[in-house]
Amino acid sequence: MTESQIMRDWYVPVEVLTLRTWLVVAFIVNLLLLTVEVLREDSLSLILGLLICVLFAALRASLPHVHELGKRNISLALSALIIGIGLFRLGSSSLSFFDIWMHAWAIIPSILSLWWLSNRAVTVWTSNKLSTSAIEFGLLRNFETINKHEKISTHLILLHFVLITVIPLLWIIDIAFSPGNALGGEIGDSFSTEHFSKILKGDSFWIWFVNSLIVSIGTSLLGLTIAIPAGYAFSRYKFTGRDVSMFAFLLVQMFPGIIILVPYFLVMKTLGLLNTHLGLILAYCVTALPLCVWMLKGFFDTIPRELEEAATLDGCNQFQVFTKVVLPLSTPAIAVTALFSFLAAWNEFLLALTFNTSNDMYTLPVGLASLISSTGQAWGDFAAASVLVSLPVALLFLFFQKFLIDGLSAGGVKG
Amino acid sequence: MGYLQVESKGDTMVEVNFKNVTKTYEDGFEAVKGLDLDINDGEFLVLLGPSGCGKSTTLRMLAGLEDITDGDVMIDELKVNHLPPGARDLGMVFQSYALYPHMTIRDNLSFGLRMAKGDLKLSKDEIKTRIEEIADVLELSDQLDKKPKEFSGAQRQRVALCIALVRRPKVLLMDEPLSNLDAELRHQMRKEIRRLHDTFGTTTIYVTHDQIEAMTLADRIAILDKGVLQQHCEPLEAYNNPANDFVRSFLCKHIDDLVDTANALFNKPTTNEEE
Repeated sequence: MTESQIMRDWYVPVEVLTLRTWLVVAFIVNLLLLTVEVLREDSLSLILGLLICVLFAALRASLPHVHELGKRNISLALSALIIGIGLFRLGSSSLSFFDIWMHAWAIIPSILSLWWLSNRAVTVWTSNKLSTSAIEFGLLRNFETINKHEKISTHLILLHFVLITVIPLLWIIDIAFSPGNALGGEIGDSFSTEHFSKILKGDSFWIWFVNSLIVSIGTSLLGLTIAIPAGYAFSRYKFTGRDVSMFAFLLVQMFPGIIILVPYFLVMKTLGLLNTHLGLILAYCVTALPLCVWMLKGFFDTIPRELEEAATLDGCNQFQVFTKVVLPLSTPAIAVTALFSFLAAWNEFLLALTFNTSNDMYTLPVGLASLISSTGQAWGDFAAASVLVSLPVALLFLFFQKFLIDGLSAGGVKG
Repeated sequence: MGYLQVESKGDTMVEVNFKNVTKTYEDGFEAVKGLDLDINDGEFLVLLGPSGCGKSTTLRMLAGLEDITDGDVMIDELKVNHLPPGARDLGMVFQSYALYPHMTIRDNLSFGLRMAKGDLKLSKDEIKTRIEEIADVLELSDQLDKKPKEFSGAQRQRVALCIALVRRPKVLLMDEPLSNLDAELRHQMRKEIRRLHDTFGTTTIYVTHDQIEAMTLADRIAILDKGVLQQHCEPLEAYNNPANDFVRSFLCKHIDDLVDTANALFNKPTTNEEE
């Protein structure tokens, strides 16, 4: 009999198990959502929201255990009460996407608890004395379903994180596709491609685009031609000043960009490189190089020396060892480094704003900013241009995804 | 590039001589002290010694991967001290196999041949036949288009051997090639290496710290300790007449202990004369 006693103490239907955690989550979320009500200064909603939180806490406390039919009934009543309040709140709200989502956090958990606590498994468990075979059946059922419940709850939480990251993007895309140059309005309420056609037909976007392309590609090419040999030398050779120069590289990275902005400007002015592509490329290379060199050095360190020694014995000279063995092995790392320096140049704003002051030499970020001037805020054009600027980068990432992951995870793994 | 290739006197006669060779590292550590060693043509010499005794350094000096501080290293009566590694016409098998991961087995095999310069340069057809020949000997013919990572450790080791042999090098160097294999595979590969040596008759220098490997593989062994040559003779000679205390404890005692352990395991009386 002790055996079945143990099973009785240990068997709780999966619904109750799940509710024990989910109700806590629902309580926390509703508590957080109260801040929205505070911001909206709607006192009735705020009181109702508070009430819902309290009721959730009570519901969690009143979840039944074996033979606690009374407690089960209290839980059912509380769930029904929350559903009622939730529906009332929903009815009095403005039925926007956000409101429906917000009120769903009160209604759906309580519907689940009403449904699950009233089903047969829980009813039998709370009212009758369970036979050993019934417990065995119940444990099997738990075993089969509990993973599914956990998976659903994990994905529910992850879905919220996805929404938080995706909604700003959706928003900018929505503004880009809405007529007029105002912010606001619901997502997807109207559709127009006027901003895109205006941006694409205008000359300045294409000028900025070409400028950005030249500067970014120039930066990655020049950066790589310097960083690859430098990284290899730092990785393989011992020479005087090796450690010092490695550290000096990092030291430059530690200053905020704004400190070197003025000296940079004076240097560029003296060299006559203001309003040129070359000036920007040089400046970007200086900032991108330390990262590139360190990344490549780290990768070259993982290539076994024995491979190079074998190549030497096979008759390669130092340069052939490098081109025929080391370079083919480091393509992932080189691709990642190229992509990073490209992106850094593509997105950089401050230096481009300072050096290139004529409209013909603007890069895309500076051009974008010029759309929001003090004379008029063309938010629609700005949004459309932003989408167009992000597209190439997004595509690059899609294509290089495999390389990126290989390149970033290399070094950790031998083989 | 026009490297000066080592001029061979005949097709098969390759002797290697170390004359009073010394290696001192930058930090002052003397890895090899005044080594005199003659390796006959077609001989299988095993360099045996504990870790840090200078055996690998000796091999790497011969290969040209380490500079020689003092003394002469001769291959085929030509002083090779300052000859680039690629011009010495050596094949080397590394402990970690050193297969090029980005090439197929076929490309790995042909890489050395393709990089060859001067007289050693081969036409494409010759390279192809060479590869087929060696793949036949090592039973790799149907796997030539795989990448190294698809192979197990033992297979990679066979490929590494293939690569070293396919160039028909004057001297074959092996740096602890079996250390990464398990006992059973090591036993198999030992037999294989000896078989290949008997087939090709290449002068071979083999570095190991494993006494049993040395005893079973070698024509002659050279025992090193702290950079100094202790004894250089046939394996059984070293076991029967150890030159000094070091050889006695490192070689004889180790083998005796192994025999004793094996005997104790099977409840046989201990004998110190067994091998």
